[in-house]
Amino acid sequence: MSEFINENPDVIEIDDLPSRKEDVSRDILLGSVGNEMTLQRKKLLLSIDDSKSKVLQNLELLDKLLLINPPELTSDEESIEESDDEELNAEGPTDVVDAQEIYDLTAHISDPEHPLSLGQLSIVNLSDIEVHDCGDPKKMAEVVIRITPTITHCSLATLIGLGIRVRLERSLPPRYRITILLKEGTHNSENQVNKQLNDKERVAAACENEQLLGVVSKMLLTCL
Amino acid sequence: MIQDDFSVLEPIIEHLKLHLKDQTVGSYLLSSPIATVLVHLGTCCFKMGATQYKDLVDAAIITFIANAEVNEPKADEIATQITEYITNKKIKLLDVIVALKENLTSEEDSKREKALHCLSCVLSKLHPDQLLRNEISVIFNFYKSKFDDDVLMKSTLDGMNSLMGMKYISVTEITALLELLKDEYDAGKFLAATRFFPFQILETMFRTSKDKIVGTPTLNNLFIATFIQIATGEKDPKNLLISFKLNKIVTQEFENVEEFKEPLFDILFAYFPITFKPPKNDPYKISNSDLKLALRSALSSSSIFAHDVFSNLIDKMSASSPNVKNDTLLTMKACIDSYGGRHCVESWLPLWTSLKFELIHNSEGTESSMLNPVTNEVVNAKKSVQSNYQVALDVMKSLAFELEAFDDDEFEKFFYHVFEELKPNFTYDKDLKQSCNILASIASANLITFNKVITETLPLFLENTSEIPKLKLLLMNLSFFLDAYVNVFGETKKETLGQVIVPDNKMFEYKDEILMILGMGLTGNSKLEVTVRTLSVIQFTKMIKMVGYLSRDEISLIVQYMTETILTDSNKNIYYACLEGLKVISDFYEDIVFEISLKRMLDLLPNNASEFIHFTDDEVIPIERILKIILDFTTSRHILVQESIIYLCSKLSVVSKIGSSNDYCFLLLSTLYSLFENNVSLITEEDADFIKSTVEPDLLKIMITDAPIATDDHNLSLLSNVLFFMNLKASISTHQEELNRYNGIFIDEFQILEKPSRFTLPYTKILCGLDKNIKFESAQEVLQMTINLLKKNGLIQSRFENVGYLELLMVLSNKWLSEDVVEQFFDYSDKSIINLEIMTWLGRGLVMKNSKFSTKILENFIKFLSDEQVGPFVAKLFEVFVIDINSLQKFKGINWNNNVKLLYKQKFFGDIFQILVDSYKQTTVLTVKCNYLTALSLVLKHTPSTLVEPFMNDLLPLLLQALEMPNAEVRVSSLGTLKDTAEKFHQLVTDNVNTLVPILLKLVLPEKYNTISVRLLSLQLLELLTTTVPINYCEEFKADVINGLLKPLSDKKRIVRKQCIDTRQAYFELGQVPFE
Repeated sequence: MSEFINENPDVIEIDDLPSRKEDVSRDILLGSVGNEMTLQRKKLLLSIDDSKSKVLQNLELLDKLLLINPPELTSDEESIEESDDEELNAEGPTDVVDAQEIYDLTAHISDPEHPLSLGQLSIVNLSDIEVHDCGDPKKMAEVVIRITPTITHCSLATLIGLGIRVRLERSLPPRYRITILLKEGTHNSENQVNKQLNDKERVAAACENEQLLGVVSKMLLTCL
Repeated sequence: MIQDDFSVLEPIIEHLKLHLKDQTVGSYLLSSPIATVLVHLGTCCFKMGATQYKDLVDAAIITFIANAEVNEPKADEIATQITEYITNKKIKLLDVIVALKENLTSEEDSKREKALHCLSCVLSKLHPDQLLRNEISVIFNFYKSKFDDDVLMKSTLDGMNSLMGMKYISVTEITALLELLKDEYDAGKFLAATRFFPFQILETMFRTSKDKIVGTPTLNNLFIATFIQIATGEKDPKNLLISFKLNKIVTQEFENVEEFKEPLFDILFAYFPITFKPPKNDPYKISNSDLKLALRSALSSSSIFAHDVFSNLIDKMSASSPNVKNDTLLTMKACIDSYGGRHCVESWLPLWTSLKFELIHNSEGTESSMLNPVTNEVVNAKKSVQSNYQVALDVMKSLAFELEAFDDDEFEKFFYHVFEELKPNFTYDKDLKQSCNILASIASANLITFNKVITETLPLFLENTSEIPKLKLLLMNLSFFLDAYVNVFGETKKETLGQVIVPDNKMFEYKDEILMILGMGLTGNSKLEVTVRTLSVIQFTKMIKMVGYLSRDEISLIVQYMTETILTDSNKNIYYACLEGLKVISDFYEDIVFEISLKRMLDLLPNNASEFIHFTDDEVIPIERILKIILDFTTSRHILVQESIIYLCSKLSVVSKIGSSNDYCFLLLSTLYSLFENNVSLITEEDADFIKSTVEPDLLKIMITDAPIATDDHNLSLLSNVLFFMNLKASISTHQEELNRYNGIFIDEFQILEKPSRFTLPYTKILCGLDKNIKFESAQEVLQMTINLLKKNGLIQSRFENVGYLELLMVLSNKWLSEDVVEQFFDYSDKSIINLEIMTWLGRGLVMKNSKFSTKILENFIKFLSDEQVGPFVAKLFEVFVIDINSLQKFKGINWNNNVKLLYKQKFFGDIFQILVDSYKQTTVLTVKCNYLTALSLVLKHTPSTLVEPFMNDLLPLLLQALEMPNAEVRVSSLGTLKDTAEKFHQLVTDNVNTLVPILLKLVLPEKYNTISVRLLSLQLLELLTTTVPINYCEEFKADVINGLLKPLSDKKRIVRKQCIDTRQAYFELGQVPFE
């Protein structure tokens, strides 16, 4: 018997994994001052040049200089409250937790037996992730994620499931219920594995096993 | 006169001699000046009689013996002195021996040794033709008589060595010495330093008497036999170096070597492979590689070793250590190169068998490395040790080359043997990469091997196919043979373009087919297929580098392929591969790239942003992509940059006519700006003059008339900067004239000093670019009028106009007005907002040139901070002093544009820091404290962290307090500095971590002044702490952080959540050892 149970899986290139296309530039635009128009301009600029662009610096300089406004000599409190509202609005709309976000959290976990990620091996697929969230922070939300083992008798399916569970429990606020299932018809002992993966007691017990935690820790190393 | 004086000296010498003979006093005298006196006397008494000299020699010898082994430089000095007496014929060498007689026959070992050492020292300093034949003979026999005295061996050999270097040495002595060494010298008895001399003697003999020795068969054989005798069993690295060297001399220069080849080989190969590690205090500084190279050079020096070397080296190939293998392979290659094909005939088969094993089972470079558009040759060249795989391939190349050079038939035998063994791999797609590597390395040897390999191999795999995996393999395999072409015929070079004539070769026959396959690979596949398309582009690029392979038409075709691909494909890999390709091509064929690629791309730009660019039927190219490509591939390409600038300017004047084209104009202007900025040093004065005369009239026109430029802050600012660059690089001789012209346009025509105008900013930027040494007569008047305009209440409505005027103040104060004049405009009693701004900008002009007034200005500004009315505003103004303004930066090679001192920020920071800190501590008013902190953080934001380091201890407490100031920007700046600090000052941060962490845990929650940046930076800083603070400290707040970060997990911004997850994960993993 060979060292790897499944030696030649199909592999997707890292660049080809499904990803959020919009706003790669978000990071750079953060913390910048200026109005909507400036933001728009900066986005335009980043489509033709990189973040070290001198034009960008120049743009920021101009905005900065335009914004060194003389202080309002009226009542202080009033103006602060006003700017407060503005500030919160300036942050723009809320980014909701969606399937892509869950995918990004889990796709980069390493497979325990290949030097590849779960996304690359198509164990985690964007289309197999569901997020049910009404958006109210006081109500429960649920994430359902269906995993596809590389072969139907994959003995590591439970370990992979455990890794995903640890990752999501560390990453999502407690109001999210996490359900991890094997995709229907992809595993010989689907029911047993499903039970094990969603059994609180068993998961908690697994998380107290030092060696198991070490393995999970290694799987999560690539999640950055 | 001197002789008279000497008679006075005589008793002194006698006296000294008495003292010196007394051993106890003698040793005391070692360091005394008496020894020096003696030597000195010798020099003084130049005309003394022979007897007196003998006395002097006696005295000198005593000093020498006293100093020997204790103070060698001194002993050496004395030996030189004695030598001089002999050279000047004052005494004879025999006199020295006689003088030494008593010591030489002493019972005491050390006395004898020192005495003989003295003689040998003197001997070694004598000129080679000093001694006559009979003198040599006598002295030789004298030394010979000492040969059985082991204690004296080192000095005896040393002396013999000097004798062998003498001009009148005879064959008799040489023979006698060789026999002595061969029969009576037992190397095992002596230390390494002594054992060195026999080698040196042989080397000396060879140097002085080569013809006599080699010319006499018996002597020739004796020499070799002696060498073998002394070299056997040697272990000392220094001696081995000379032994290897002698071995090489013997095999290359001596007769009848064949007879001795086995022992000669044994005393070399016994040391292979060398695994020597130099000891720590090695005085000779001999390295492992010195020995390796010397041994390799000796082994490869003569083909008599051929048979033994190859079979032994093949044995060593089974070694498991990669270093040993590397040494073996390199030695193999050196031997093949040196012995020539004749001697490889017998051995190529076993060599190939062992190389094949090495090559087939070890491969290097993965598929991804082949997909890297930037060739890794540069990286390889940097590595000092070549990989075994590469060396093994080089050995194959050497074998092919030497065999072919020796005999065509032998080469064919060799080649077909290898070829037939590898051929099945092509049928079964097995080890293809290695097989192609091997064949390509054979092809790399010369034209004949190249043709042979290409003829036989290319048909094996070069056939068009639509199957992607097959095509991928084909392209990868082909790549090695394209490399082989470059190895044989060379790489395209700019200097010799079109001059190199490449001999007709078989690769030409396949050119059309290769071009077709690559073309199909690139265009015939769906856009989703990345690998094959990237490979095609990379191979195209490689073909450009093959000297003399492609015609201009074919290059044009490739440029066209690449242009179409880069325009229509959004895949990152393909984009970069095409970009690299276009860059390489434009390196050699800028004109083709301009005609076929750049011009076409520029022509695609529409006049109206709402028009779509239809490239092919179903593809629409965004304007941004074209501009990005232009920016990416024109950099440092002369024609391309200039043409792009001119074209884009003329496009701009069309586009700006259309209303609401602001964004399109913005893109064009940004591109223009970057083109200038990226190529400042590439653009020459002539270029700039040409560009300026071509485009400036239009630019000035659209600046006034076209709303998308004139009324758009960003666009007008960018245009101003473009004008800045044009004037900066324009011929200096025109600057004076230009200033007058611009003054005419802006001051007289636009009347920017009479009424508020948006065009002050372009004027200011133009002034920035002009030479500071030209005359600006009305500068003071302009400054006065500008200030008047600014101070007229409510006249200037727009902030943009305001900034233009304020910058103008800075430029004037920095470039054309004397410090004293500028100083008069400061009125610290006027705390009106506009006056504060005016003083700030005037002040910045002065601060940048480290003016004598800058301290005074800054002190006054710091005082303003304590003013509750204007303090908060002044705090913001502090940023103006240090913020980087592009048109005031230093450009390489340009020193005429401004008076900005390189270290002004450092001085500025040093000037204000302590005063700020002290003032901060003294005040109790919270708002004022806040002003100081705000000013400080805003300055820090623009100050390189290296400049801040010396102040860190005082700064850190302030930074921590700044985190709690009700101002988001202050918090951001403070967090930024803290991050730098955490990376560099682990200890300092560790000391303060208990204060820092709770503050950070407050900052990660959404709140009035915790903007996205504040939250994000706080989270990043928390993550950073896990790597900079020792783990036992981290453990203390681990639980707090993990709990404290629960809330931010539901942050409304995804980017914050992401960072929060990463930070939390870092804390979860603290102390967790990943399972291996």
